[in-house]
Amino acid sequence: MRTSVDKTLKMYVGGKFIRSESGRTTPATSAKGRPMNVAAASRKDLRNAIQIARGAQAGWAGRTAYNRGQIFYRLAEILDDRADGLPTTEADTLSAADRAVHFAGWADKITALLSSLNPVAHTYVNYSMVGPMGVILACPDPADGLTGMVEALCGPLVMGNSVIVMVSAEQGELAVALSEALAVSDFPGGCVNILTGDVASVIGHGIRHDDLDAVYLLGEAVDSSLIAEIHTENARVMRRFIQAPRSTEPAPPGRLVQLAEVKTVWMSSAIMGGGGAAY
Amino acid sequence: MTKRTDAKPALQLAGALDLSPAPESCPAPIKSRYGHFIGGEFVDGDDHFTTVNPATGEVLAEVAAGSDETVDQAVKAARKAADGVWGKMSGADRGKFLYRIARRIQERSRELAVLETIDNGKPIRETRDVDIPLAAQHFFYYAGWADKLQYAVPGGNPTPLGVAGQVIPWNFPFLMASWKLAPALATGNTVVLKPAETTPLSAMLLAEILQEVDLPPGVINIVNGAGRTGGAVMGHPDIDKVAFTGSTNVGRIIMRQIAGSKKKATMELGGKGAHIVFADASLDQAVEGCINGIFFNQGHVCCAGSRLLVEESIAEEFLERLKRRVEVLRIGNPLDKNTDIGAINSVKQLGTINKYLDIGKNEGANVWQSPCPVPDKGFFLPPTIMSGVQQTDTVVREEIFGPVLSVLTFRTPAEAIKKANDTEYGLAAGVWSEKNSKLFEVAHALNAGIVWANGYNLFDPASPFGGVRHSGFGREGGIAGLWAYMGGIS
Repeated sequence: MRTSVDKTLKMYVGGKFIRSESGRTTPATSAKGRPMNVAAASRKDLRNAIQIARGAQAGWAGRTAYNRGQIFYRLAEILDDRADGLPTTEADTLSAADRAVHFAGWADKITALLSSLNPVAHTYVNYSMVGPMGVILACPDPADGLTGMVEALCGPLVMGNSVIVMVSAEQGELAVALSEALAVSDFPGGCVNILTGDVASVIGHGIRHDDLDAVYLLGEAVDSSLIAEIHTENARVMRRFIQAPRSTEPAPPGRLVQLAEVKTVWMSSAIMGGGGAAY
Repeated sequence: MTKRTDAKPALQLAGALDLSPAPESCPAPIKSRYGHFIGGEFVDGDDHFTTVNPATGEVLAEVAAGSDETVDQAVKAARKAADGVWGKMSGADRGKFLYRIARRIQERSRELAVLETIDNGKPIRETRDVDIPLAAQHFFYYAGWADKLQYAVPGGNPTPLGVAGQVIPWNFPFLMASWKLAPALATGNTVVLKPAETTPLSAMLLAEILQEVDLPPGVINIVNGAGRTGGAVMGHPDIDKVAFTGSTNVGRIIMRQIAGSKKKATMELGGKGAHIVFADASLDQAVEGCINGIFFNQGHVCCAGSRLLVEESIAEEFLERLKRRVEVLRIGNPLDKNTDIGAINSVKQLGTINKYLDIGKNEGANVWQSPCPVPDKGFFLPPTIMSGVQQTDTVVREEIFGPVLSVLTFRTPAEAIKKANDTEYGLAAGVWSEKNSKLFEVAHALNAGIVWANGYNLFDPASPFGGVRHSGFGREGGIAGLWAYMGGIS
């Protein structure tokens, strides 16, 4: 009988597979019944991830919408190809692939749907466009499996944000499988990052970090006791808190707009200038 | 000290631009004879005509001309697919088929580009970098709409129309096919497509791709032929929607043909695009833009910027700059990667353009042609600029559909706008200035479906394309491109 090669489970940050800087792991069991150690993200791991995500965000948002759409589609191609080999049900993987296809479609459309040309009573072209918020910490509902993880990262990414997905140690093996798909899907390093470990403690670190723009929780990602704490800590820096239902259906446009900011531009449209002071 | 002379500055190139031939060599097999693609199968036809390589005049293949019976078969296959598999399929699954088509087009892009260049005469530089990548992008874009149609119309619950009859032109054969097919399929319709008789080959290669991706039989049917076949498609009683890109005259014939029926229609017709250059424009960029506007695809572009309106104070200098730049455009073998301007698509079209050059001369125009060497076989015409023309001249009013630019002048923005809008067409226009407020004011005042500011001939599937007035109605591209293929929304 062949001796199997056991995999070290690492986190995915900045396009690289890393261990926790803390050196800590959480014991778990693989889908094949082998004991394994899941990396346990520390406060410093999160801070590093936020810094890297911040640095990657403009580059990701600056890609053409068509290019970003094709990258989502590439993720779907990889997941579909590996459907019978990931540590979840085949149906879950195929559903996750379909979810990525769905978001591939939004990449070059959502801004056209949510932006507007505003009929102001001035000789100005006035338009509002949806754009990224920045860095978002997202947590899927564990019950939603791989589909939930894909949903949690696609929404923020499709609006041009960088995302850090926090996955519980129990699903560490699946999180690594997703990371391995992301790593070959042409996502620029750092725009999507996956941490594993104790969800509540990492969120607790996140909401005390001043350079995180939003927390995005899906379904029953955390206990209700943490919800009030998130609200309270967020108030300090006006951080957004988006709570969504489970990932049975993809995020509708009404949720995607919550993962974005609206910017309005007044552009003079009169040859003689529109400054026209009325006083 | 250098002695001043009156000699005009000339580019001293000393042969530096004499490049070795660099022909694209990707194989693009051509069969000796083509029929049609109906119900997912290639079927033989009869009554064959030939398609030629316009760069050589040599025959490439024989192609069947679809009869009324052939068209009827195709419509029946499309109806069966509309009522059956395609009409019942989820939007997400329809989208996946469109994504597959987009990816296969990307994978076989160079083969498609070579085939298109051979059949059409346009430079490989354009098919490789514009036609084929944009076609793939159109399928990719509309693939993503297929499961999101409820968001495309406020409060809408859209349904498919049924079977669409689509007739496309020879200037962008593969790209026009993708513009027509992708939104129709995304919205759940099935199609009978009639390619142009001088450029049928890339559509036949698309049919191979449709088989590769297992598109359900009958969703796309392709019937070859000329105007008579196109008329049979448009006039077939079981067609729910007609979509036509071509000349305004043929558009009128089709609109009369379907009058009184319940068929929905979109018409993307001719144009006589005004290209306004203000004195405060970045002139070097404007020169490039004007050249792109009229000499892209040999001027076989419905939205071509064929009427240049230059502010009087810079008109002489601008015209000199323009000519100097045009002189170094390379005309020749379309398969050569260095070629800027390829062949006129057909001997018939070359005759039409030459007729307009005669009319221009007779009406008093100064006709200037680039002194660049022109191949001695095939259908070629050097880039041509006509100055000293008036608003009332035939060459200023009518669409020439060739590499021929008319040059007029203006003094004020108001005059520019008035002259630009003094046309029965309204497809596209361009305006150049470094002053944003001027760009906006002029762009908003131009009566055209598309206005490019500090650019020209820009295309993207996310951006609607289409004209007003005699340039037709309906849009292709963007959210607006879906509306024309949706029922239950009005």
